[in-house]
Amino acid sequence: MNRNREGEELLRVPIHMKLQYRFPAGAHYERFFRELKKNGKIMGVRCPECERVLVPPRPVCGECFTRTDEWVEVGPKGTVVAHTSIYFPFIDGSTGKPRPIPYGAGLIQLDGAYSAINHILEEGDPDKLHVGMRVEAVLKEEREGNIGDILYFKTVEE
Amino acid sequence: MGKKVAIIGTGQTNHCSSREDLNEMELVYEAASAALRDAEMTIAEIDAVVLANMELFEGRALHDMWCGEGGGAFMKHSFKISTGGTSGTSGAISGYYHAASGLFDRVMVVGFEKHSDGNTSAGMALTDPFWDRHVAAAAIGNFALSVSEYMADRGVTQEQSAKVAVKARRNACNNPHAHLQMPDLTVKEVLESPVLAYPVHRLEMCPQSDGACAIIFASEEIAKKRCPRPAWVRAAVTRHDHIYLGEVKNRLATMRSLREAARVAYETVGIREPLKEFDVAEIYDPLTYAEIAWYEALGFCKDGEGGRLIDDGITQMDGELPVNPSGGVISTNPVGASGTIRVAEAALQIHGRGGKRQIPDVNLALATGYGVYCWSDVVILSSRPD
Repeated sequence: MNRNREGEELLRVPIHMKLQYRFPAGAHYERFFRELKKNGKIMGVRCPECERVLVPPRPVCGECFTRTDEWVEVGPKGTVVAHTSIYFPFIDGSTGKPRPIPYGAGLIQLDGAYSAINHILEEGDPDKLHVGMRVEAVLKEEREGNIGDILYFKTVEE
Repeated sequence: MGKKVAIIGTGQTNHCSSREDLNEMELVYEAASAALRDAEMTIAEIDAVVLANMELFEGRALHDMWCGEGGGAFMKHSFKISTGGTSGTSGAISGYYHAASGLFDRVMVVGFEKHSDGNTSAGMALTDPFWDRHVAAAAIGNFALSVSEYMADRGVTQEQSAKVAVKARRNACNNPHAHLQMPDLTVKEVLESPVLAYPVHRLEMCPQSDGACAIIFASEEIAKKRCPRPAWVRAAVTRHDHIYLGEVKNRLATMRSLREAARVAYETVGIREPLKEFDVAEIYDPLTYAEIAWYEALGFCKDGEGGRLIDDGITQMDGELPVNPSGGVISTNPVGASGTIRVAEAALQIHGRGGKRQIPDVNLALATGYGVYCWSDVVILSSRPD
């Protein structure tokens, strides 16, 4: 299928682009990232109706369609509710480059939060990961005010 | 309820990893032409066209413009539907709504995707810029997370998962349109294929395919006149869950959106025992574990019994409820078309045009769609209009 009837290789049009984007964080992510950058705190918002604490924070609770404005600190410790170890190379959406493999990834329910968050686990060996294990967020020293300020979650003994 | 509507024709390309002989518009044209031939219609008779595609996988925007002429949309009423993996089923549901409204009598839906044009991983990476794109590990990694929860909760085994892969690739051998046809695949080979994201092996995941699929919906009067055995749309339901993966608790086990869509659809049609009442199901199985989880969510069995259904052969071609005679998404995945294919394959079974993959005497067929983290579509087709 890669050649035409005359036996010539099919023509392809190659395109390489470098694109740059800049997304304003918006009111809730502004506060979330500011707290993370300035004070090293992970914050969630509580819905006044269903009382779920949402992380990442959002201005409206999806289930109640109600404004959320009560901020609460969550974590930095939490419990792994799901885990995997990644062995295939795929593109890191923040850099456009493949992320080094293998590495661990998990859904982490931060203490005090309803929702779990997906993030990177320091431990990448599937034999050392299990549902229910305790982990803690490790933050960057020089924080910039984005989710990359949380480097990964490390395993903690309690 | 809307007006009575039936599917009277379907058409598909031969799906494979790379259709380098065609560009995307030509792919759309191939499927649309096949559906028109199947329905014995001309494009002049079609009064609305719905296009379905997953945005950005080909690195191309405005597909409705670049591919619409291939679907015969020129100077017709036309929309594009793009809802991730559910694009194809939601496109079909939109086509049904158009006809059921009574405003359009003959509606063509074309779902399409040309994965080989672009970079699927890049498409997945272009999601939420604030959180997800930094930490999400593409479709495979996200599924692997959910599989770990599901296995811990329901005790489903790797062997049961591998049996789903074997069933799918063997069924695909009866489908001339299917991408991965593997007649001799074994459970051992599935479990010895490379681990992409623990515990998910390569042969437990869907492939990336190039392909398109078209469906023609018609009003009651036209369907009765033009089709010897129309596939009547009896229910079509869409449900969307939360946006962040971590907010959906134990996704595969709970699958709220699919359970709720199925509940509403079953109530509409009056279905109480889905395993007994459906003659065939074409469900959107992005990976093997999801198929087992969907058995439970769709009420084919009780929670925790999905693995037993595959162990006991209940969902094999000769079982009580054959699931995915086409080979399913695990065998063929042009993502924007994958949902459309589910609906088309379910219709094909009622039309009696399934060839080697035909199940005898199909009167009631189920098709589902799955998209994003937790979005679901359910469509029920019947040989009877009411």
